[in-house]
Amino acid sequence: MAGIVAERYTGASIKRSEDPRILTGGGRYVDDIKLPGMLHAAFVRSPLPHARVLSVDVSAAEALPGVVAVFTGSQLEAITVPGPDALMTLMGATGPTPEFTLLATDKVRLVGDPVVLVIAETRYAAEDGCDLVDVEYEEMTSVASAAFALDPDSPPVFANLGNNIAGQHARTEFGDVVGTFAGADRVAEFRIDVHRHQNVPMEGRGCVASYDADSGVLTVYAATQSVHVTKIAVAMRVGLEQDKVRVLAGDIGGSFGLKIGASREELAVAAASRALGLPVKWVEDRSENLTASGQAREESFDVRAAVSNDGDLLGLDVKMVIDTGSYPGMGGMVSGIIQAMLPGPYKLAALGFESTAVITNKAPYVAYRGPWASETFVRERILDLLAKDLGLDPLEIRLRNVAPRSDPPAAMITGRPLVGVTTKESLERVAQLVDIPAFRRRQAEERARGRYLGIGLATFIEGAPGPRSPDGPSGPMGMEFMRLRLAEDGMVELFTGQMPHGQSHQTTLAQIAADEFGVPFDQVRVVVGDTDVVPFGLTGGSRSATMTGGVALHGARQLKVKVLDFASQLMEASARDLEITDGRVWVRGDPESAIAVGEVARQAASGRFGAEEPTNLEVEATFDGGEGGWSGGTHCAIVEVDVETGLVKVERYVAAEDCGALINPAVVEGQIRGGVAQGIGAVLLERSAYDEDGNYQSATFMDYLLPTACDIPRIEIEHLETVPLDADVNFRGVGEGGMIVAPPTMVSAIEDALAPFGVRIYEQHLPPARILELIAAAS
Amino acid sequence: MLDITLSVNGATRTGSAEPRKTLADFLREDLDLTGTHVGCEHGVCGACTVIVDGRAVRSCLMLAVQAVGSEVTTIEGLGPDGGMSTLQEALWDSHSFQCGFCTPGFVMQAAAFLQAHPDADEQQIREALSGNICRCTGYQSIIDGVLLAAERNRQS
Repeated sequence: MAGIVAERYTGASIKRSEDPRILTGGGRYVDDIKLPGMLHAAFVRSPLPHARVLSVDVSAAEALPGVVAVFTGSQLEAITVPGPDALMTLMGATGPTPEFTLLATDKVRLVGDPVVLVIAETRYAAEDGCDLVDVEYEEMTSVASAAFALDPDSPPVFANLGNNIAGQHARTEFGDVVGTFAGADRVAEFRIDVHRHQNVPMEGRGCVASYDADSGVLTVYAATQSVHVTKIAVAMRVGLEQDKVRVLAGDIGGSFGLKIGASREELAVAAASRALGLPVKWVEDRSENLTASGQAREESFDVRAAVSNDGDLLGLDVKMVIDTGSYPGMGGMVSGIIQAMLPGPYKLAALGFESTAVITNKAPYVAYRGPWASETFVRERILDLLAKDLGLDPLEIRLRNVAPRSDPPAAMITGRPLVGVTTKESLERVAQLVDIPAFRRRQAEERARGRYLGIGLATFIEGAPGPRSPDGPSGPMGMEFMRLRLAEDGMVELFTGQMPHGQSHQTTLAQIAADEFGVPFDQVRVVVGDTDVVPFGLTGGSRSATMTGGVALHGARQLKVKVLDFASQLMEASARDLEITDGRVWVRGDPESAIAVGEVARQAASGRFGAEEPTNLEVEATFDGGEGGWSGGTHCAIVEVDVETGLVKVERYVAAEDCGALINPAVVEGQIRGGVAQGIGAVLLERSAYDEDGNYQSATFMDYLLPTACDIPRIEIEHLETVPLDADVNFRGVGEGGMIVAPPTMVSAIEDALAPFGVRIYEQHLPPARILELIAAAS
Repeated sequence: MLDITLSVNGATRTGSAEPRKTLADFLREDLDLTGTHVGCEHGVCGACTVIVDGRAVRSCLMLAVQAVGSEVTTIEGLGPDGGMSTLQEALWDSHSFQCGFCTPGFVMQAAAFLQAHPDADEQQIREALSGNICRCTGYQSIIDGVLLAAERNRQS
């Protein structure tokens, strides 16, 4: 082959194209935006969890030099469109929805509830203004627990609802639940709790809103997982036509599910900018972030498990209560996914499930990396507890229950086929890597010396994107869109609605498109973050590997066809004989014929080939996820528990993961390790704590403890060879798995370490004090 | 308002600020050096770390007036003109970071630490960086990058 040789990028740990800017201070985050005449916003927030607002006096704040405007809740209502939460509306929420305002008017519903917006020439002056606002409250009985929220006598947080029930997920049965429980050798009952914790991206929420009265366009510089979802939310609430709102985003300092749509504060700032005709910036401080941005989880599960004496998990009956906090968020929406995913990769034959979402005077429920993760925690915890009852090894009970790969594939009792799932392989591989029998010998020796080591494992699958169902016409995750063009400078441009905030899309999508189209990696430009130029999209739900990777692959293929069609006229050769390699179009076998793709694009744009010829080297591509497939894996932790102090040290952490074909192994491993670190943090350190009256206790980083470089061990990762399902696209999502499976892995290991004391664990948060309590209670 | 004169990244810079203005805000707002990030404003997360007179400090806990007359190095001034230092290159090679928000603080902390402890081992590096919080990576890639930089420094 005479030749032009191309490098192949997909599958290699290509260095990130994001890094030169972020490593040198060249990143552009929302707080780095500086516009002429820009003002600064700060919020007066409620110090009480639940109270009537009797009066608000802003006169002293208004009189302060530097303060430009002050908005109370009712003033803001007068300039905005009332209505339900935009995100909930978009997601198809039905039923009565809480009536609320952007800033509190008649009452406050959590510590940190925004009451007054002060806008000043500097942030310092805005905060000074906040100090001068006088709000008179009348305290109400707060609803600080799910148990009280379920009490019909608890005072309704939203008067129009009449109670504190946000939503009911009616009891649903799959398989023969009654018969399965009646015929089981044993029925075990547990109550399992998952505590409240939160995203804590290193950059909090924030925006700069800039209204131009001449054009009537409101431009919002946002930190968001989707510029288009933010645009819809802003337009709805501020009362502008969709085409009069433009949302831009640059670099984003993490999110993990927090930054979707537009928060009440961001909507208030947008409305204020429109009213003032000036740019207004709001960037939350850490106290606001921890107190009021949103929190996640806090679910309890009453579980009955039907099991055989041999350790077959036959059926589950689960009643879930989820504490969704105060203002509407995503809390009512996770129960459906939890129900669907509860069987996991196991042969469970019967499931009964019901759920109640309650409203309390705490921060609103937001999505946090694997929002439905508790299905995995509960299921894996149940298996460990049953294994203890039956004297089985945790590995043994899992291998016994895992659904074998078969043709046709087994399906979860809730419906989705377990096609291509490699749970059995990952369990066996992890067991091999850690050598469980050798560990057990060491564990026994160390116990004899008074050292308490434990091993734990847990396994998960994640629908990222999930399998194609025979009756699912739109694919497992809906459609993904991309516009691609060959620019006259020779760059292949990808316009995507993905909004990267750490996931390295500008690298990974370029790898795929470069290979498929035939240009060097640095000849692909990934364009994000502008509603005027990118198609609809959202970064979240571990969707982008398959969905955006797939649309990049198919789109680059379509673009290549279009470019070759045009080049065939330019080069007087059949398109079938042309190839694009290393950024050049050439007649196969004749390297002398090569023309740079940029030259082809310039010729196309010149129009020299007559109006009937294609000159627009641009395509709009869609992708439905193809055959899809599951991500999944098994994690294993070895820990040592100091039974005098309650401290847990993670000695070793091993993951065997299957996310299909890897686009960029270093990026994949970064996602897994980051998720595991959050999971370890959730178990050992992190808790969004409220006292019994609903006062928030974790408003600083001295109270909300995040794991540091000394808390997180090396995380060993092995990638399993997946089962390819699709002809072209077998990349699967890996963003959430680490956070989903690390908590049950850690709890399993800690319980194993404490086995000599007879400790059984039914909860997720295990800081030193709690471990000492568990030991004391069991002994 | 007080007059502030200090050296930043080798150049004399002047401005004026209220006594309460933090060094972080002065760098970002008055000198347009937005590479220094503000992550917690109470000295825990380390995102705002800069080097003042050779020592890594949290610029959210230092007032601009306290830095008068000092030599300050920020992320923008760490590498050679328009380029990256050995440390930054090693962090790039190691896929050290994801979202990039904590990055400037880690880089400045690691730079100051390696300057004083060129032979540090992994545990010493972990301890030295344990006052900086990263929410994305699980730290391993950052530690590997700093170890790689130390090794390259020793070889050159």
